Amino acid sequence: MTQRHPSEEMILDLARGALERGRALVLRAHLGACTACHAQLRLAEAVGGALVDELAPADLAADALERALAAIDRPPPPPVSRAAPPPGWIRVPADVLEAAERRRRWAAPGVWVAPISRDRRTGARSYLLGIGPGIAVPTHTHKGTELVCVLKGAFEDRGEVYRPGDFAESDESVEHQPRVTRDGDCVCLVAADSALVPRSLTAHLFQPFVRI
Amino acid sequence: MNALAFDHGGYHRGGARARPPFRMTAAPAAADGFADMIGAIAARADRAAFATLFSHFAPRVKSYMLRLGAEPLQAEELAQETLLTVWRKAAAFDRTKAAPSTWIFTIARNLRIDAARRERRGEPVEDPSDEPDAEPGPDAVLAAAQSEGRVRHALLKLPPEQAEVVRLSFFSDKPHAEIAAALHLPLGTVKSRLRLAMGRLRDLLGDLA
Repeated sequence: MTQRHPSEEMILDLARGALERGRALVLRAHLGACTACHAQLRLAEAVGGALVDELAPADLAADALERALAAIDRPPPPPVSRAAPPPGWIRVPADVLEAAERRRRWAAPGVWVAPISRDRRTGARSYLLGIGPGIAVPTHTHKGTELVCVLKGAFEDRGEVYRPGDFAESDESVEHQPRVTRDGDCVCLVAADSALVPRSLTAHLFQPFVRI
Repeated sequence: MNALAFDHGGYHRGGARARPPFRMTAAPAAADGFADMIGAIAARADRAAFATLFSHFAPRVKSYMLRLGAEPLQAEELAQETLLTVWRKAAAFDRTKAAPSTWIFTIARNLRIDAARRERRGEPVEDPSDEPDAEPGPDAVLAAAQSEGRVRHALLKLPPEQAEVVRLSFFSDKPHAEIAAALHLPLGTVKSRLRLAMGRLRDLLGDLA
């Protein structure tokens, strides 16, 4: 099954800081473009704020305020210079831009990949995938779920078109061959529970190069 | 799940709450006052305003960190960092978008995530609070509707078993399956309580979508 918006539970996980890093990046990219999902995050964060505010205050160290007042007198660290988003991209978190700039490599003709995060313990990973106009990703499925947010361009998958800011969550039941539309290249931010599972000969050939 | 985290600091429910006296009558006004103080820090580096914010929020942020399972020293450090971030980023606070408690919660949460990442990977992490969230166009979200007072009021209207899972959920960074195990409840029950609770909160606080 493919969902076009993150579940309420996933948004709650983002708000409470419990979402795996790659998934959080995909959600943030989508939320930057989706008013309805963003409003859900706002609500959940307001709940978090109210809950923290009603916690019984913990005892601080005796010199806590003194330390804080000394800390605010120190000059702040210099601002980090950030990579500018490539033209045509929706706004994304800095980690994503950095990956695009530093870790991008060609994986196959017309296809590039930039790994962003990988959890060695669970195998969860996130990456950017750039695909040229009209190119299809070889048929594959997933172990676990895969979250995608389109950053630029568009792709078509099982009769639906996904455009910048759009979100897709595919589970194991989805066997698909997404195809980039002909009018331009497409960049997607992807978070997957594990490596994709090839379902065709091309996909088997494709995977070792792409390593996703 | 760290069982200690549930006992540490303690939270209060309903009538059992013992707040410092000045908050008992003045919660909404206090929230406005906090927004003014953050404004005063942004406008003129107001140290007295900072000291007041610190006295209110730092002990609560520390309490939050303890509930998430942080060691006391680390919890104290994270509370310091959170309030230091409030000082440095005060100009980024927008009272039309979030209540002070909401904004400070997100700062604390992000610092905690980064601290956990540093622990795991030993990698330096950029200050997440440098980066304002991307936002979809003008969303009519009513910081007013989500003022702390109104949110707190709405939370009190939840059935106790729903309020409990919402609290445990926010005071843990564990998957809901672990929360369910700690409560000796089936995962489905925890999830449906959370869903019902969030739906009810959305109804009570206005249609924010």
